[in-house]
Amino acid sequence: MLRYSSLLVVAGLGAAPLAAAAQNPSRAAGAFALREQVDRVRADVAARAVRYQGRDRGPEQTERFSRKVKLGRDGRFTIENISGDITVTGGSGDDVSIEAVKRTRGGAGQLASVRILVDERPGRVEVRTEHTAQNDRVSVDYTVTVPSAAAVDARSVSGTVKVTRVQGAVRAETVSGNIVAASTPKLDAAKTVSGNVDLTDATSDADLTASTVSGTLRAKGLKARALELGSVSGDVLLSDVSCERLSVHSVSGSLEYAGALARRGRYEINTHSGSVRLTLSSDTGFELTANSFSGSIRSDLPVTLGATGSQDDRRRRGPGRGPGHSTHAVYGDGSAALSIRTFSGDIVINKR
Amino acid sequence: MHPNDAELNEYADASVDASRRGEIERHLEACTSCRQVVAELREIARVAATLELRDPPVRSWTRLERAIKLDAATERLPQNSRNSRRTFDLRVQRALREMSVMGRLAAAAALVLATAVGVQMMRGSAARRPASAPAATATAPAPAPAAAAQSVEAELRQAEDHYEKAIQGLEQIANAEQSVFDPRTAATLQKNLAVIDQAISESRAALRTEPASEPAQQSLLENFKAKVALLQDTVALINEMRKGNEAGAARIVSGLKQKGD
Repeated sequence: MLRYSSLLVVAGLGAAPLAAAAQNPSRAAGAFALREQVDRVRADVAARAVRYQGRDRGPEQTERFSRKVKLGRDGRFTIENISGDITVTGGSGDDVSIEAVKRTRGGAGQLASVRILVDERPGRVEVRTEHTAQNDRVSVDYTVTVPSAAAVDARSVSGTVKVTRVQGAVRAETVSGNIVAASTPKLDAAKTVSGNVDLTDATSDADLTASTVSGTLRAKGLKARALELGSVSGDVLLSDVSCERLSVHSVSGSLEYAGALARRGRYEINTHSGSVRLTLSSDTGFELTANSFSGSIRSDLPVTLGATGSQDDRRRRGPGRGPGHSTHAVYGDGSAALSIRTFSGDIVINKR
Repeated sequence: MHPNDAELNEYADASVDASRRGEIERHLEACTSCRQVVAELREIARVAATLELRDPPVRSWTRLERAIKLDAATERLPQNSRNSRRTFDLRVQRALREMSVMGRLAAAAALVLATAVGVQMMRGSAARRPASAPAATATAPAPAPAAAAQSVEAELRQAEDHYEKAIQGLEQIANAEQSVFDPRTAATLQKNLAVIDQAISESRAALRTEPASEPAQQSLLENFKAKVALLQDTVALINEMRKGNEAGAARIVSGLKQKGD
């Protein structure tokens, strides 16, 4: 939860934008010189950081912030934080209640260098966290209550974002931290880079996007028209899920889907080495297209096989079974379309 | 308080609400940095307007292709390239609106490199389309199997070259600037890039033993796309953080859909 001061030092130099330098080779020499300058500053910052270590060993200093502002029942609330958690809960009334605690183990004077800015406009409240000093190590934890019908947009860089019982549209994003959303009937997006995504009883009228690079994406009781889910190495675990369209992409993460398929629903799953397990809770028919280079494909449901096999005899080990298969199969009326692709992960379809 | 990036984008595009426009104009009179952002946005729009029309960059094509596959059975989706391009343009416009100025610049270079990949794969898809498919190529004589296989492999190699160029450029930036991230995020990004590299190696090894394997070909391309996407998002985060706008970095997480854009 600590903020890395070198960021602002480097930014403060006004270093030439990398992209611009890349676009114009004639600036390369200048950019190189600038890079050396930046490196020197970085080294200096690192040395200062070593000397600075002791400051985190002191007792925790805190400062509380409390404010109540009018938003209106269906207004929009936005909050941005750099370091620290954000907890937003839907409540009654027209007001937004903002409680914040600044924390540091450095000197108490550092607390003053972090400002909480609240911008009020009709139907809109924005909260920003401004760090005015370059070397502070202050985090701010927010606990906010908003009118339950309000829309919420909560973003943090380093910290968990939790949104509960908010009826309006919700977006929750962080770079390093978890995303938790519960009882949010209009969840639009839940995204993190380094952290888990946990969704409980979340729904969406339209498209819901959720992703993490390395964490686990877990959803229970999720209902949406369209779900777009992704990870690189994290698993995607869905239970009691219902959606008309599903798109899941992962590299090494596995997918577990337990729920119903919608008639005429479209489901696309793509993972390299992760396994795919669908546990279906309804009798909805589906048309399955499954491909795997070396993983096995298995359906415990009585499917009618269509074109099955591959270009290589070695991989023809029986319809729908064994490694390295391309399978086309139909279950029931085949109304839903199921496309599953893995490289080495196994594919299993069964019934709950 | 400064207008946020989205508002400045809308202002620069003259699409901001009239009520908000006046407020932003008043702010711009007093704020040099926001004026600079608006000027850069307008310059990008001006330069972009002079660019030759190209086929979709691969990341957008991937998403579009996925959407088409998902929709094809139930909806009448655009079949000709004009409509496809229109759909693509709308997606790109939306994506660009969400990106920072610096992110646009950095992404632009990679997208230009990736465009040719999209073109090649579109051609490849057309070549492999079954004769029954309603496509303009249906009347063309079908290539001999061996020739078709060679053609696909050649396209794959070409696509690989383009991806590698895009990846090389992005990696240079990402590797040089890893220090802007907190250690946990930096480690996460490095670890996951390594995961993708491993997947690429596995796909390549599979293609060495079975060059015509479609799952292996698809897997290789998917993994390249995943790597390009993760690197593009990493560079976008770096740009935000270099501006000292760490909060803005969280916004860029919107673009972190490394598994296909």
